[in-house]
Amino acid sequence: MAHSSGHEAEQHGLQPRQYLLIGLALTLITLVELWVSYSGMPYGLLVGTLMILSAVKFVVVVAYFMHLRFESSLMTKLFAGSFVLAALIMFALLALFWGDLATGIRANRIPPGETAPPPASAPAKAH
Amino acid sequence: MAHAPAVVHSGRHQTSTGTDNRKLLMWMFLGSECLFFGSLIASYLIFKNDVIARGVGPFAHLVVIGGEEQHGVLDIPLTSVSTFVLLMSSVTMVFAVYGAQQRLPKMMKLALLATIILGIGFLGFQVFEFRTFGAEGLNLGTNLFGATFFVLTGFHGTHVGIGVLYLACLLAGSFRRTGLGPEAGHHVEIAGLYWHFVDIVWIVIFTIIYLIPG
Amino acid sequence: MATVAGTLAHQANTGVWSWITTVDHKRIGVLYGVTAFTFFCWGGVQALIIRTQLAVPYGNVVDAGTYNGLFTMHALTMIFLAIMPLGASFFNFLTPLMIGARDVAFPRLNALSYWTFLAGGLVLSSSFLFGQPPRGGWFNYAPLSSTQYAPDLGIDFYVVGLLTLGVSSLMAALNFAVTILNLRAPGLTMMRLPVFIWMTLIISFLLILALPPLTVALIQLLFDRQFGTHFFNAAEGGDPILWQHLFWVFGHPEVYILILPAMGIVSEVLPVFSRKPLFGYPAIVFSGIAIAFLGWAVWSHHMFTTGMGAVPRTIFAANTMIIGIPTGIKIFNWLGTMYGGSIRFNVSMSYAVSFIALFTIGGISGVMHASPPVDTQHQDTYFVVAHLHYVLVGGAMTGIFSGIYYWFPKMTGRFLDEKLGMVQFWLWFIGVNMTFFPMHYLGLIGMPRRIYTYDPGLNFEFWNMFETIGSFVLAASVLAFLWNFFTTMRKEPTAPNNPWGAPTLEWATTSPPPEHDFDVIPTVRARDPLWYDRDHGIEAPQPTGEHIHLPPPSYYPILIATGILLLTVAPLTHLAMTVLAVPIIVYGIWGWALEPTE
Repeated sequence: MAHSSGHEAEQHGLQPRQYLLIGLALTLITLVELWVSYSGMPYGLLVGTLMILSAVKFVVVVAYFMHLRFESSLMTKLFAGSFVLAALIMFALLALFWGDLATGIRANRIPPGETAPPPASAPAKAH
Repeated sequence: MAHAPAVVHSGRHQTSTGTDNRKLLMWMFLGSECLFFGSLIASYLIFKNDVIARGVGPFAHLVVIGGEEQHGVLDIPLTSVSTFVLLMSSVTMVFAVYGAQQRLPKMMKLALLATIILGIGFLGFQVFEFRTFGAEGLNLGTNLFGATFFVLTGFHGTHVGIGVLYLACLLAGSFRRTGLGPEAGHHVEIAGLYWHFVDIVWIVIFTIIYLIPG
Repeated sequence: MATVAGTLAHQANTGVWSWITTVDHKRIGVLYGVTAFTFFCWGGVQALIIRTQLAVPYGNVVDAGTYNGLFTMHALTMIFLAIMPLGASFFNFLTPLMIGARDVAFPRLNALSYWTFLAGGLVLSSSFLFGQPPRGGWFNYAPLSSTQYAPDLGIDFYVVGLLTLGVSSLMAALNFAVTILNLRAPGLTMMRLPVFIWMTLIISFLLILALPPLTVALIQLLFDRQFGTHFFNAAEGGDPILWQHLFWVFGHPEVYILILPAMGIVSEVLPVFSRKPLFGYPAIVFSGIAIAFLGWAVWSHHMFTTGMGAVPRTIFAANTMIIGIPTGIKIFNWLGTMYGGSIRFNVSMSYAVSFIALFTIGGISGVMHASPPVDTQHQDTYFVVAHLHYVLVGGAMTGIFSGIYYWFPKMTGRFLDEKLGMVQFWLWFIGVNMTFFPMHYLGLIGMPRRIYTYDPGLNFEFWNMFETIGSFVLAASVLAFLWNFFTTMRKEPTAPNNPWGAPTLEWATTSPPPEHDFDVIPTVRARDPLWYDRDHGIEAPQPTGEHIHLPPPSYYPILIATGILLLTVAPLTHLAMTVLAVPIIVYGIWGWALEPTE
């Protein structure tokens, strides 16, 4: 790694020491995520915090490890566009299916002859 | 050989957008993969509450059914370790790309080897996890948690496996007389894009399946 | 060494081996075209059997099971093996020529797409040979696709066939998106691209993004049938509606994948034969993009009767109606292009104009379905069959015929016979309307689709017989085209470079183009480059005699495709086939990577 300073960089990017620091930061975020997962905070807050933290990890890996930050904006647009489309379709599907669950429409799909399932609950803290 | 302005089949030549052909292709392919894993994750989430409502276990996380506690099969501490392993493989992959671009073949080979070993390690964790779940009575057909979980993580594992094969081919190629040729930096970087993408898919899966309880 | 063995000599330009190893986009385009037209004829034969069966009440040409196999395979053949690859044939032949490039970005990947398509098509079609065609309709709803209701191999043929075709389309789409973005001639900015190329780019993105949900649905179905999961089995906690959602997330963009090539073709043909630039070029481009965007937000209009609830139905109905706006914009732009032009009504132009009329009929009945109460009445009746055939036969195929007559001189150096062509056109136009227009009426008086026969006395008899006669008129039209094709190919090539006086770059080179497409890469100075150069007295650049490098032929694409074929038949025979397939694919990719392309 020490030789690298003598070479002319072919590509934009960071130095090995910076990559190591990013790896360390990602590890730390993962540890925080673990702590949040076990913390027993209110469910909505917990899910929100975890989603934000994993989004941060996602963006850091894409921007620095995959060099997207140093590339032409065309590829950012292409990838971000695909990702947003995937997320929107996922949310639409979940809204369609979970909406069914909330309004009880889905309960009607249980085939005749079977009883409705017993009401169940999931505790907020569940490990 | 004279350089005709539009010799097309190699990314190193001038392109309209100034972007390498192969890199552009890989990014668009990864965009396609977003939809692939998005659909699989959506399938998992769609059935998540149904599985608990039906009451046929084993379940992912601890649930209370009819006043009775049923433990979840997911082993979060163990999976945290395998997550760390995959994360570290991303760091070594970055070093491999750096080594290839800065023409440091030794560093590139070592980093590729480390990435391959870490990737195989991750797969080992996954095989262990699948076998443990099987022993606890969770199979593809047991309930929809089993079906969606095994298909989603199984396809992620398949992607890791293909990545290991991809990197192993690069490593084998780097021992040829000409190494990976004048475009080694490009070849390793594009393999790296694939590898990092597999890693970020796991970041999402780890959060959605493992870390979010209930 | 693989390196040496993979490098083939350049001189072999004829013979079977040269076609098997070709990486020339023009030859691959021809392969796509010939294969797809063969499948088109095969799908047409299936349609004729269906129509003969329905000609009279209590028809007994085929039994109910065979009939179900026929309508399923007719749809799959026409959609995946005829119209999509016919579009791919035009993309292949024309994209590099129209953007002033010497080949696509990845010539060997292009060959691999074709051979994989052929493998998928053969596997899917061979289901008839084994007497086990898929019988669940092209959208193959659960639970009809489960092992309980479909115990034979039919659905497995469907699953592996579509997975393979999806891989092929994905590779082609990635290739064309990169080609169009990266290999444009100097001066050819995005807003100077021919509309056909814009449509190709949009279709490529639609394919890249729409295929994965279908792949996931097919994988889930494969696991349900082979490995005991219950994704679509309601009795075990699965949900058959999930299949419908994932299928239509793919299926609706697929509709635009089928129609946009035809829209691109007419957008090239109309200005040339009206001798007037395309009216409202940016509006056509942006409405194409808008259709593609909105196409993602309307899939559930195929599922209005599944009990989604009022809110989702309202949202999807509104989105669907909004799509009518960009579509309408395109139609007015085409009309505006012809307005005030000096129109030449040859065969190609006749097809293009009739495309506008027939597609509009199909489009309007589409907007009718957008309303959930109306759709609930139309669901599963012949009205829907009328709608989709007006869009696909009246729209997509009519556009493709227009393109065939337009680009035939460029592709072969020969003109298709105009007189015979006019006969063929009128047979086609009359046949489409005879066959499909009465279906609107039959659907509204209650004839359900997918029935293999019907009772007398329901007022179905007359119009069904009428439609059957119409379908044979269509068959006569296709026969006339084949006759025209074969007699034309026997003639001497006489076509000049630019017989129609067209403005786009493919007409700047010889007919047919040389292997390297252009002696000198053209420079583009305006949206209609050849018209601009003609009006400004700019001479075509003289060849400089420099060395032009072309990629050598390669047999690795067909080798890898063979591996994919073996992988495809594994779920149909024995999973051990994968042991044979994977080494072939890995070896093929290894050799591919080391093969010199310089």
